[in-house]
Amino acid sequence: MVEFLKDIINLVAIIAIPAIFLIVVGWGLFKKVKVYEVFVEGAKEGFDTAVRIIPYLVAMLFAIGVFRASGAMDVLASVLSPLTNLIGMPPDALPMAFLRPLSGSGSLGLMTEIMKAHGPDSFTGVLVSTMYGSSETTFYVLAVYFGAVQIKNARHAVPAGLIADFFGMLGALFICRILFRP
Amino acid sequence: MLNYIWISLVAIAIITAVGSDINDELQNSYRNGVPMNATFQVAESPSGAAQTWEGEIDIPGEVFDQFYGIQTQKTDVRQQVTFAAAPNQRGTLLIPISDASPRLWQRMAASAATKDRLMANVVAVSFSPDSLRAQLRFVVEPIKFVRLKAVSQAALDFASTAVQISIGLIGIMALWLGLMKIAEEAGFITILTRILAPVTRRLFPEIPSDHPAVGAMIMNIAANMLGLNNAATPLGLKAMEELDKLNPKKGTATNAMVTFLAINTGGLVLIPATAIAVRAAAGSSNPGIIIGTSIVGASCATVAGVVAAKVLQRLPRYRKDPEAGRG
Repeated sequence: MVEFLKDIINLVAIIAIPAIFLIVVGWGLFKKVKVYEVFVEGAKEGFDTAVRIIPYLVAMLFAIGVFRASGAMDVLASVLSPLTNLIGMPPDALPMAFLRPLSGSGSLGLMTEIMKAHGPDSFTGVLVSTMYGSSETTFYVLAVYFGAVQIKNARHAVPAGLIADFFGMLGALFICRILFRP
Repeated sequence: MLNYIWISLVAIAIITAVGSDINDELQNSYRNGVPMNATFQVAESPSGAAQTWEGEIDIPGEVFDQFYGIQTQKTDVRQQVTFAAAPNQRGTLLIPISDASPRLWQRMAASAATKDRLMANVVAVSFSPDSLRAQLRFVVEPIKFVRLKAVSQAALDFASTAVQISIGLIGIMALWLGLMKIAEEAGFITILTRILAPVTRRLFPEIPSDHPAVGAMIMNIAANMLGLNNAATPLGLKAMEELDKLNPKKGTATNAMVTFLAINTGGLVLIPATAIAVRAAAGSSNPGIIIGTSIVGASCATVAGVVAAKVLQRLPRYRKDPEAGRG
């Protein structure tokens, strides 16, 4: 059943893009939209948006890059390890919880590293890959999406995003402990 | 809030870097100026007058660990080197650093004068009679401020990474925005928004349910769930721009924007393709085992994010929703 579902979802992911193109353009033709002209008109906005993001993304990635390079993550993880032991999180999985909201490529590298060390089917291996799949890179999304419309006052977006990450990581730990606890 | 997070990241980074460099200096973690012993082996001695040997140095793992006061280099160090001999049993040793080199040396080379090699001064050599083996005593070039150098390098690297990411977005953005425009003109989006109005009206009560922003948000969330990251970002940005049209106080996020962002940071994906691929590459017997657990985790994140956004927007500190005109 799970395999069948997986196949279907995989298939959808593959045909989704061609299907969207076909449906949208076909529908446009049917509705007598001047598809080529309209497409170009829409596409024009792409450049401005991408360029507008640059300063926001530079500011965000600079801070995150500097933070990672300083080794502060290891210090933080070792300070907090007594707390995470309480809730049954393996010490090696803890840096993942911090890195996931900060850096997509960083957490990908960390996941690969942890899986090499512990094996992909170990409890820690399953947990970190679940953690990776349980959240988006909050600060990247924040910088890009708010950068596009020049939002400087993010109001409650940061706490809301971090609460989402926190519960995502907690949820990942919870479900992995129920299903795969050694 | 973003201000504080930003400044904390930078400040913590610099303080940690300075602290760890001072610690390294006090402990002399890189053994600056301390001579190290190694066995040097060459396949053949250099011909004629040349005084440059290509060979391999050999340091037992436990000796290396003891020398640097670490426990990480468990295997013996075998390292290609070039030894240029000088009179009086001296010379220079050039140690090219690769992935096979000890981790510590890799880290040291990263902050050395030349990135891909370490230089060392040989202070004593004693050759065996056949000139194919030698005992070397050498001092590696002084390594200082490893973390601070890494921090400066990261600052420059990530600044250009940010620009590369943004420039890379241009093409994909144009493609999806063009398509989106056709869908809009053809009335496709209107149909979609009408079907999902009961949901979107609850999530984004401030936005009229037939507004183009709603269509873009639906498309974005659908693309995200299918794992079509290339499509999701352009559609999400389009949604933000549409939401911003309803924003009377530009530069300040509205409730709808924050809720939309919270859904996006939850990152609900039906197939976490990247994680599965990495698991398969690492030799997992069942890479797809995390599909179910990831959906549970991401659902927790998404629900928590939306609830947090809805609750926090009522707090006095955040209660300046420009849309509601409370100013």
